[in-house]
Amino acid sequence: MELRDFDMDEPLTCEVVAERIGARRSLVVRLARAGVIETLESESSEPLLPSHVVVKLRRMQRLRRDLGVNYSGAAVILDLVERIELLNRELIEIRGRTLDHER
Amino acid sequence: MAAKTRDYYEVLGVSRTASADEIKTAYRKLARKFHPDLNPGDKAAEERFKELQEAYDTLSDKENRELFDKYGENWKAVKQGGGQPPPGWEGARTASGSPTGGFDFSGFDFGGMGGAAGFDIFEEMFSGGGSGRAGRGRQRARRERGEDVEAQLELSLEEAHRGGRRTLQMQTAETCPTCNGTGQVGDKPCQTCGGSGQVLKPKTIEVNIPAGVRDGSTVRLAGQGGSGVNGTQPGDLYLHIRLRPHPVFAVRGDDLEIELPIAPWEAVLGTKVEVPTIDGRVDLTIPAGAQSGQRLRLRGQGLNKRKGGRGDEYVRLKIVVPKDIGAEERRLYEELKQVSKFDARKGR
Repeated sequence: MELRDFDMDEPLTCEVVAERIGARRSLVVRLARAGVIETLESESSEPLLPSHVVVKLRRMQRLRRDLGVNYSGAAVILDLVERIELLNRELIEIRGRTLDHER
Repeated sequence: MAAKTRDYYEVLGVSRTASADEIKTAYRKLARKFHPDLNPGDKAAEERFKELQEAYDTLSDKENRELFDKYGENWKAVKQGGGQPPPGWEGARTASGSPTGGFDFSGFDFGGMGGAAGFDIFEEMFSGGGSGRAGRGRQRARRERGEDVEAQLELSLEEAHRGGRRTLQMQTAETCPTCNGTGQVGDKPCQTCGGSGQVLKPKTIEVNIPAGVRDGSTVRLAGQGGSGVNGTQPGDLYLHIRLRPHPVFAVRGDDLEIELPIAPWEAVLGTKVEVPTIDGRVDLTIPAGAQSGQRLRLRGQGLNKRKGGRGDEYVRLKIVVPKDIGAEERRLYEELKQVSKFDARKGR
């Protein structure tokens, strides 16, 4: 089987992102211009997006569909979930180190 | 995997006479709590959400709800059979009249994975967005490519540092061989896929883990998601990397940090000690007059970076004082106390 790895910072056009998430290009452009999703520095008129944005947009679509939140709300929710996850992991690590000290 | 179906009303916590709005409100309320995107890595939440989805998909569709109310667990078989209940369906009803019974999730589109150690799907990605769940069948019919699948892959720090191959066993949604993804055979829904156009099939994938991946990084494997319907492009597999906590090293970006206990005389006089690095043990010179909490850098002994280069390892010194000392040691400490002009609290 052929093995391929992909760099998640690979720049993608709004057109490609839209195709991957099954949405209209105009929606992706709008979300990028509104700062709801991360963009890469680009000299072209249309923003370029890092490929990990595809994952975020999919999650936003699911939150919109399942919970009825709008895209801006979904983006805030996902940022907060990410921060909570990060804090949880730091907490686990700190607790592990504290236990080591106590031993 | 065969799972026991619960009463859909019970799953959503609504009465059997609940209105469409009440069902939607109950679903949204529970979905906020158990949605996989809000509970990454939580298998219990994921399972609960699947149950909610199933219940809501059924009860939010007027026709399906009527069939469920009438036939309970057999409503799908009745639907597929063009309205005819299968023989003996009445036996499945409970004494209270609540339809419960066995339900095989394998016919559904949850894209479950498993098998290889530490590999665990936590969600499925759907193509298209925006519209309600009741429209999933219609969404599938107009989809242009296979489903993307997200999964979580847990790695040791060493695996993330060096990279390597991992064999993953997973189940992906493939085009139904009976109906070729149309979901229908003649005028009737396809019996093999239940009308979804796709069936879950086990699949083994060899994955190249690139050296230098980090906790939270994502690797995309193009074309390893669900197969496309009617020969369209397959979806992608997104692997979200999670690193297991390491017993020795703490990770700080590209750098590693360890704590190194040293004796008071080693701190005062300096010494050379062996310390662990991610690639084995190396000699470290501790300078005379080292302080507790001081960090010494081992340049280039950190983690491999994704695009080349390496981070550093930091060794945090911790001066450890012996709890039990012999008579001779005590005498020497007493002597040191008399001789030394050092004031540990000077300037504080």
